Amino acid sequence: MADPARSKIRAWLSGLARNSQRWITATVLAGVLAGLATIVQMVLLAWLIHQGVIEKTPVSELTPVFLALLAVLVIRSAGQGLQTRFAARCSEQVRRDARRQLHHHWKATGPVNLADTSAASLAREWLDHVEALHGYFARFLPQMTLSVVIPLAILVLVFWLDWLAGIFLVLSAPLIPLFMALVGMGADKLNQQHFETVSRLSGQFLDKVRGLTTLQLFGQTEAASRTLEVRSDQYRKITMKTLKVAFLSSAVLEFFASVAIAVLAIYIGFGLLGYIEFGPSDELTLFSGLLILLLAPEFFQPLRTLSQHYHDRAAALGAGAEILARLEQSVDNAEPIRPDNSISNQGIQISGVTLRYGEGPVIFDNLDIRIKAGQVIALTGPSGGGKSTLLHLLAGFIQPEAGAVSVFGEAPGNQPFGWLGQRGFWIQGTWADNLRLTTPDATDIAIDYALRQVGLGELVDSRAEGIHSRIAEDGLGLSGGQARRLSLARIFLADYPLILLDEPTAGLDATSEVFILEALHKLSESGKTLVFSTHHQALLTLADRVLIVNDGEVRDA
Amino acid sequence: MPELRPWLALIFRRKGRLTVGAGLLLGTLLSGIGLLALSGWFLTETALVGLLLATGIQAYINLYVPGGGIRFFAVSRTVFRYLERVYNHNTVLQLLTDIRVALFDRLAARPRTERSSRSGAQWLSRLTADVDALDTLYLRLIAPAALAAVVTLLLTAMAWLLFDGVVALILLAILSLSFLISTWLVYLRTCAASGQLSDQQESLRGELIEHLEGFAELTAAGRTGKHTARLMRRSVELSRDQARIDSRTGWHQAGSHLLINVAAVAALWLGFRLFQEGALSGPVLVLLPIALLGLAEVYAMLPDAFGKLGATRAAARRLNSDHGLERAATSPAGSAGELPEGFSLQACDITVGHAGYSPLLSHFTLTLRPGDTVGIVGVSGSGKSTLADTLAGLAEPCRGERHSLPCAYLTQATVVFEDTVKANLLLASPDAEDGDLWRVLELVELAERFAQEAEGLDTWLGSAGNRLSGGEARRLVLARVLLSRAPVVILDEPFTGVDEATRTRISPQISRWLQGRTVVCLGHGPDALLASDRILHLG
Repeated sequence: MADPARSKIRAWLSGLARNSQRWITATVLAGVLAGLATIVQMVLLAWLIHQGVIEKTPVSELTPVFLALLAVLVIRSAGQGLQTRFAARCSEQVRRDARRQLHHHWKATGPVNLADTSAASLAREWLDHVEALHGYFARFLPQMTLSVVIPLAILVLVFWLDWLAGIFLVLSAPLIPLFMALVGMGADKLNQQHFETVSRLSGQFLDKVRGLTTLQLFGQTEAASRTLEVRSDQYRKITMKTLKVAFLSSAVLEFFASVAIAVLAIYIGFGLLGYIEFGPSDELTLFSGLLILLLAPEFFQPLRTLSQHYHDRAAALGAGAEILARLEQSVDNAEPIRPDNSISNQGIQISGVTLRYGEGPVIFDNLDIRIKAGQVIALTGPSGGGKSTLLHLLAGFIQPEAGAVSVFGEAPGNQPFGWLGQRGFWIQGTWADNLRLTTPDATDIAIDYALRQVGLGELVDSRAEGIHSRIAEDGLGLSGGQARRLSLARIFLADYPLILLDEPTAGLDATSEVFILEALHKLSESGKTLVFSTHHQALLTLADRVLIVNDGEVRDA
Repeated sequence: MPELRPWLALIFRRKGRLTVGAGLLLGTLLSGIGLLALSGWFLTETALVGLLLATGIQAYINLYVPGGGIRFFAVSRTVFRYLERVYNHNTVLQLLTDIRVALFDRLAARPRTERSSRSGAQWLSRLTADVDALDTLYLRLIAPAALAAVVTLLLTAMAWLLFDGVVALILLAILSLSFLISTWLVYLRTCAASGQLSDQQESLRGELIEHLEGFAELTAAGRTGKHTARLMRRSVELSRDQARIDSRTGWHQAGSHLLINVAAVAALWLGFRLFQEGALSGPVLVLLPIALLGLAEVYAMLPDAFGKLGATRAAARRLNSDHGLERAATSPAGSAGELPEGFSLQACDITVGHAGYSPLLSHFTLTLRPGDTVGIVGVSGSGKSTLADTLAGLAEPCRGERHSLPCAYLTQATVVFEDTVKANLLLASPDAEDGDLWRVLELVELAERFAQEAEGLDTWLGSAGNRLSGGEARRLVLARVLLSRAPVVILDEPFTGVDEATRTRISPQISRWLQGRTVVCLGHGPDALLASDRILHLG
């Protein structure tokens, strides 16, 4: 996947932000309230100390100010609490929109091309990467504003107290964003790399776990464990590179904040002693001096918080880059060409179809096939000859480069149809859940009937709660043949006019094979149009018409 | 929290690193507090001396010690902070590697029957999410909480020394409450929700993976829209729950912060009394409240970490669910110990099946010598694959004994790793040369297929070997088994998905290649097997 440009990612993120502006603004306002309360707190604190230590005012006379100080503290905390409360909601809409975009992309890509990426990686993008956007909207964006507003307010106050101290702060302030930008740029790039590593690593682990039996059989689990350790270590080193740089930005800030406090403390101290002959220092009191000192860390605090949230931004940009790369991945599928209704709305028609994958060799060139409704068609020929491709074409999973496919007068895939891939598909849940996946309003009786049609009746009967028992309750799940029969039961239940099957009996035991043959026979009896690829003699006999698919040629047997 | 114990044991194996890391963290915290407190002391001192000087009274002030101290703290805070971060994150990543590898080893040590066919998706989430969740344990939770307690006690001790016992006790009470709010209370208030959150997220991930795996079927049925809507709804619920936890954590943080500020104000108020009684000097009076204000930074990390503790525990619980099941790996290498001289595979009156179920096959006896080839044909439910597993030593027979020389086993499932062709083949014989690899590929008629690829043997096989057709993938894993030099070869449905013409061509070549070895070939019918001396029918 090519990396989308940074500016593009940022544009995409701010496009997403538009819907959540309300929450972001509320977060900023609460943050400003907390910031202003902090300033007032420091003013009262410095004033109290001055009154107590220098003016020697008795404590009893200071009580009202102490109480005011407590009230201000409560306001400050309320502001802080509200800020997190609002921030928590900032990205709800954002995440929803991003996920919706991914769904649209999956749909446009189609099942065939989507299968090129592991389900785990796609799930990670949808779930984890989208979650990684949250910090950017909830923390980073509001803090961007806060780190301008609050330091400015403090600066105004410090200038009013002592302009020379103000100048110290001003001098250190503009350097910070500059350094942070420099450091941040490097961190961003590394962070993106880090994201890719994690994604690749999780794919590797999933792959190893899936093939663990094979690794055990060849006695290679230790080698695999070592590989995993080495890869984890590589991951650590790459991440450490990111972090060493990322932490520099906070170190720079830390340094400026610390040095500014030290310089101010020494300047004010000398000023109070009267050692400084120039500037406004002779007007310094313990009140103004202490207030400047107390405000100095608060001046830097919003920026320090921002730098802590910098990784939120980097994470969001990294995640955004992956999501955007996925979204921008060219969808091979051109818009399906509208079939010409006048030709036929009875059967299936492939006219003048040319097809190839990307820049690869041409698979079909100017292919013409007509299939009558209600026919049973077997596709046969050597593996790699294009049987599956032809089925994908009829399913509308891939679109031809030229020519048109029409299924009962419509574009392929416009109407629901039955699809039986080489791997049966089942979800964690009951038998009924699995069948209602495609036919939600099916009755229990219909479900039971469909399962019996594919010979799963006995298995279901053996479970305590029949079709309402969980499929994997014994922890073993289904065998390949059973899973494929389950998928076939869905097709029985749904009553589709067209059914496409990719090698329906390949690798099956005799029992599954018999049930599938019988089921297909029943489906053809009820007038469905069946198209399947096969090498199986019994299936070839079942067909009304056998097509040999070899090297892009399709001809009748 | 017993579920965390094994992980804590794993973490505390690196005691040295943890101690250094905690030391650096303490240095950072104390430098920060020291800088502000010393500066406050210095200002008050200079203000008082300045007043005396202004009225013409001779006064002496040592500028070098506090000035040097302030400069030292300014630098040490920066340096400590940077070192602490780099060092501790490195530690955490090392711990993550430890955990990752320990988990894989544990999984690899478990017999196959205890892993369902769908464990992949769940294990992925375990590694990436659950293992990552455990990183909050040391750097974000244990170390900061311990150090916050240490710093709090240090400040209380300081209050005792500089002020008096009463002030120290009052401060200790307020700060303990603040500590409790930012740790234990946050945990209690978020524990249930946060634990469920990660469970819900994992179940959503499972559903999502199912959605993607069934995408072709769902698309065909026109059901992707409805299914998507359900996934979206669940993700929004998840966001809401997350937001609730975040808000709660935020309010606790605000509350704890409030109490720290109250402690500072209380110290000032109580200090004034001591000051006015003459028991305390002005600069020392200022020192303590300012140091207390610095405590806010020490406590700031805690609520967030404790808000996630519920999730961390849930993650640990999920990871622990394998512990009890740990068992010695069955060695597929074979146990030749009791094998009679001149035999290569012997199964004596074995019964196969899954524990707790009625046996699939009983009283099965098979004795083979080198050079014997036997075919086994079985209908569904006859226990063909379970028998193959048992013969190969992957599963233990329920009854009876099985002895074998080392064997190579082609399982019914086709497993192609996301790696190069070469790496996939080398599993069977790690020191095979390229020539050997081409030879076995030739045997299954795949040599030409990969010779055409630009990368040859280094051709990358995509996700789950997606770029190969079903028949090609089967032939590739068949080639892998053929590469192995094991004297016993067991093939379960060797030609799944391979078209008849290809099968007819490659089958005799393979038989010739395996000549002299013991071959057991299992299939659903005689035509799915290699040529055999004899054929057994099951069931």
